[in-house]
Amino acid sequence: MDSRENKKDLIQKRNTHQDEKLCGRREFLKGAVKAAALGGSMMMTGCGTSLTGSKEEFVLEWKEYFKGNYRLMTQEERDETVRRMERLAKLKMGADVKISSRGPRKQVLYGYAFNISRCKGYMDCVAACVKENNLDRKSKTQYIRIFEKEHGNMNVTSGNGKYFHEVPAENHFYMGVQCFHCENAPCIKACPIKATWREPDGIVVVDYNWCIGCRYCMAACPYWGRRFNWNKPEVPLKDLTRKQHYLGNRMRTKGVMEKCTFCVQRTREGKMPACAEACPTGSRVFGNLLDPKSEIRYVLKNKKVFRMKEDLGTDPKYWYFMD
Amino acid sequence: MKRCPFQRKLSLILILSFLIFFGCKEYSEHTGGVTVTMKEATAPFDDKEIVESIPRIPKNPVLVNTRYQGGFFWTETRHDKIERFRCSNCHNNNEAPIDKAAKVAHGNIVLVHGPENKPLKCFTCHNQDERDFLNTERGTKIEMDHSYQMCGQCHFRQKRDWVGGAHGKRISYWAGKRTVMNCASCHDPHSPKFAKKWPKTYSLALSD
Repeated sequence: MDSRENKKDLIQKRNTHQDEKLCGRREFLKGAVKAAALGGSMMMTGCGTSLTGSKEEFVLEWKEYFKGNYRLMTQEERDETVRRMERLAKLKMGADVKISSRGPRKQVLYGYAFNISRCKGYMDCVAACVKENNLDRKSKTQYIRIFEKEHGNMNVTSGNGKYFHEVPAENHFYMGVQCFHCENAPCIKACPIKATWREPDGIVVVDYNWCIGCRYCMAACPYWGRRFNWNKPEVPLKDLTRKQHYLGNRMRTKGVMEKCTFCVQRTREGKMPACAEACPTGSRVFGNLLDPKSEIRYVLKNKKVFRMKEDLGTDPKYWYFMD
Repeated sequence: MKRCPFQRKLSLILILSFLIFFGCKEYSEHTGGVTVTMKEATAPFDDKEIVESIPRIPKNPVLVNTRYQGGFFWTETRHDKIERFRCSNCHNNNEAPIDKAAKVAHGNIVLVHGPENKPLKCFTCHNQDERDFLNTERGTKIEMDHSYQMCGQCHFRQKRDWVGGAHGKRISYWAGKRTVMNCASCHDPHSPKFAKKWPKTYSLALSD
């Protein structure tokens, strides 16, 4: 008796097991189909941001989603994606932006020098940078940090970056820190998908559409030069800088990395970066390192200069100097 | 013949260490860093392509008497920024009614320039006889547009840096014909020190 009952039990168990298995497979397949459909639709509409967009917007988004890495695009492809993005900006935000895809100039390597004995900590540069680069106003993202340090304090890891009082304070000096556009940049090496690279004119840029937001580069940078979009960047339409660059100040999305680009949209047109132009004290010197007659070369030749954490071998193109 | 059992392992380790050694040296050996790249660049930079897209700013720059390492350069005009220029409109030998003079005179100017025990006076810089001009210590007449020559008498180090590019700043463009700001574009000649003020914005902590 016992054995028969056992047998019955066993059969029953096996049957239920089979049922479970079958049921599981079916459920799985159903789920997979649903997920694929949902995922596909989300892809088409840019991760579900606008499920009720127009047909044109949908087509543009679809094409945008499947475009390649900026570095692998031909010039025609770049022009196309730029046109698509301009149209999308018009459709989504109602803004007439002009996005450039201008490449680097020949015989140009950008360099920057910061005069620590002249900076007064007015922070006009920070405000100009936020405005020019369409930085997120909600999280108060800033590319530039100005550190207030006591005289004689040459320790680069200390300093008050959150000061808010009348400046310049007695017995203090000010030191601006931003992306140093290292020649041997650790952030580039850290990127697992090659979404960040050094342009031939020395600017380290990010392809915002290729970035997966893993933040390895942020961890790799010894200078805290990179910023992450934790939320969707918000810029009031009236403050939006319309003149944009694909690798520069075009609108980022949530979950991508961004950083100072030496205002690539300005510098490739021959203009100074917004911070250098805004500085009321003339502490910021910008120029072409390959031009023997440039101001930056004069500074490097005639002034006492140093670079931050030079011993790391990152080879930054950003020098500090004093009078 | 007896082979050493560690020979193979030893050679492997040697090869590996060589690989690591040369792998690490790759960057500095190939490029030598930006300092070397810079020193090797001695050819003059041809910015014709960029210059074409650059409008001249400001429209009527002043050719500076001195040259910098790249040749001629320009600076902002000064006389059109001075209120009530020409000074000789009032400072002439003609009589002026007192009420009108009080309205347009510049008694509000406070001179905070020079050492405390020996401050500058109006006629340290201004030409007493011809008020449209400045006057050097040697008694040379200088136009307002070339006021950098006046400042350079005492502030010769700053002037040298200004000519070279370490003091002051270029106007808008890093390329093209070099046009820089004048001394008085940033410094008030009557009180040249930058004032204390509130910063334009503030920063939050990077990580909290």
